Amino acid sequence: MSASASKAKQGSFGAASRVLSTIYDQRWLIWYFVQRDLSKTYRGSFLGFAWAFLGPLVMISLYTLVFSELVGLRFRELEGNETLNYGLYIYCGVMPFSAVSECLTQSTNTIRRNSTLVQKMIFPIEVLPLIMAVTSMADKLLGLGVLVVVLAVLGYGIHWTLVLLPVLVVIQLLFVMGLSYLFSVVGAYLPDVRETLRAFVRAMFFVTPIIWTVDRVEGTKWEPVVDYNPLAYLVGAYRDVIIYGDPPDGTATFWFTLLAVGLFVAGLACFVRLKKNFADLV
Amino acid sequence: MPAVRLEDISKSYRMYTRQRDRLQEALSFGRIKRGRDFWALKDINLELEPGDTLGILGRNGAGKSTLLQVISGVLQPTSGTVETNGQVVLLQLGAGISPDFTGRENVMLNGLTLGIPRDKLLDRFEEIEAFADLGQFMDQPVKTYSSGMKARLGFAVAVNVEPDILILDETFSVGDAVFKAMGTQKMLELRDRGTTILFVSHGVGMIKNFCNRAMLLHRGEMLYQGGTAETVDRYQALLSSAEAHRSGELADAEYEIAEQEDDDYLLDTPSFKQNPDLEGRAPGLRHGTGEARIMSVEILDEDSRPVDRVDSQSTVTARVHLQYSEDVKKSRLEITLRNKAGLDVFSTNTNAENAPLEGMGKGERAIVDFTFEAWLQPGQYSVTAAISSPKAKNVYLDWVDVASVFKIERAKGQPAIPGLVRLPTTAAVHGPDKARQDS
Repeated sequence: MSASASKAKQGSFGAASRVLSTIYDQRWLIWYFVQRDLSKTYRGSFLGFAWAFLGPLVMISLYTLVFSELVGLRFRELEGNETLNYGLYIYCGVMPFSAVSECLTQSTNTIRRNSTLVQKMIFPIEVLPLIMAVTSMADKLLGLGVLVVVLAVLGYGIHWTLVLLPVLVVIQLLFVMGLSYLFSVVGAYLPDVRETLRAFVRAMFFVTPIIWTVDRVEGTKWEPVVDYNPLAYLVGAYRDVIIYGDPPDGTATFWFTLLAVGLFVAGLACFVRLKKNFADLV
Repeated sequence: MPAVRLEDISKSYRMYTRQRDRLQEALSFGRIKRGRDFWALKDINLELEPGDTLGILGRNGAGKSTLLQVISGVLQPTSGTVETNGQVVLLQLGAGISPDFTGRENVMLNGLTLGIPRDKLLDRFEEIEAFADLGQFMDQPVKTYSSGMKARLGFAVAVNVEPDILILDETFSVGDAVFKAMGTQKMLELRDRGTTILFVSHGVGMIKNFCNRAMLLHRGEMLYQGGTAETVDRYQALLSSAEAHRSGELADAEYEIAEQEDDDYLLDTPSFKQNPDLEGRAPGLRHGTGEARIMSVEILDEDSRPVDRVDSQSTVTARVHLQYSEDVKKSRLEITLRNKAGLDVFSTNTNAENAPLEGMGKGERAIVDFTFEAWLQPGQYSVTAAISSPKAKNVYLDWVDVASVFKIERAKGQPAIPGLVRLPTTAAVHGPDKARQDS
């Protein structure tokens, strides 16, 4: 850590590169915090880290039982794919969705939740939304990893498209980080946003094709709900790569990547510009 | 190159009585003014060289913590510039500790949170562990720690990585004597190595012994900066004068310390005072029929100045201000001094001292002085005051616990009082041989 003078006012390019280098400097901090946050829920339990895998396994079993065996029969026919396990189909959509929804709702509270770090310590708070996004993504990735294993065991096979998964994860991470930065700022100024966002996220769960299949809206007036919904792209892309073994649609991927990068840059810029006010707000 | 340089630092907060006012003001773009500016710091200048140790004194709310936060860069000053050279570590009690994780994990987490590079932490791990001296607790979750252990862990991390500028906020208020001694030792080492240390403490002794400079803050303004002895003297003067104005201060937020002259309390007939703190007392600390009320209890020193600390073995007056709301023919006021351990050390009342309170009419006020020699062990004491009427036993007209708090300090040149009290004693020596001769 070198000398610092808080009077410096540089151009936005200088600011951006400084932020990125701070984030790089803080890689260990981020690593330890992500580890801490990931293991927080398993702390003190007898099985410890095994829960990171047992949890998703229990979920997958439940989804399969409920959706495939109890209510999934009709959908299976409609989809025209008899081998499709409807429970796994839903689970594969829930994971990427909940990474986004978790970050959206939690980010509004980031600054307030970490008030000690913001107010009382010399802490690079720009890593906080990042830690949250990475933690959430890592958690869901574990869930998807378990899904891949289950798919292989059940004989659905492992598709070559899995090699595209890291790319997809990186793009989603940018998207999620962008949202986290943006809503950390908004939430710090307007605490009420939290409740509004909760309702919004709940609505998005149903508007996004997670528990229903895309072919249900194809050719109807509801088609834009899927076409202009970035979450629909995300959910679809994960399913393509993990379940169907198809590469995601190129044009859609391009637009989504553009959106993710834009969000990230805008969110980070907002955060960095306004972070000095946070200590006064909480 | 100075380690720390502050130039005309000011920090203001906008205060609103309601959240809604804040929003209204924000939405009106300056057309509606609802808030008030509160200046937590005003025009502070400071320059510290490497190796300087600065103690910051001031009453609660003087802006001490705010100043430390501004220096460390956590808070942005409203105006002025802050310059720091080198790695700054700001240590606040319990900050950055994750209770569910073990001491070992917290060393890393807390160290990284404080901004210390990982390699340095790994290098110094053994020293940190040794200094924290937690034994097998090192592998237990921090939530099982006592507050002293937590403080030790935090302090161990912060001092063993040799920061260039170390900022401590009341770190020594918890922890036992051993920890304090070790902490002081470590800080001396750091100081000699050229670390600039700034710290806030209410312990005047610590600042006198350890710092080479001190600063006195009052209501966000720097009253004095210079040698520790002079600053401490001013701080103590401020404390006693502030005590005198306690009742007035709350009503009038704009008072200046400079305006205070001694004549106010040197008048022969003391003026009636009312301490608003006593009004809102919790029922556990105050009860009574209300026929009479204890309005204020003050402690006065030999010169009849209201103080909150007196020398042991000096003459002390406990002055009680009473107001009767009914006609009370006969009543009795008693005071009890209680030490830190809650033990009643001394008690007396108006009847026992032959100053009966008789024939008090409705609305009448009275001021009662109990003057005694404080031949008591140095320490913190509280005064409990009660008015009772002889008519009914165990029924108080008013009873106020901890109506006032003061400290007895050992004065220079006085022998220590080892027990609770020093009783008037004479000692005579009778040699056994002499005794035999006498008989």
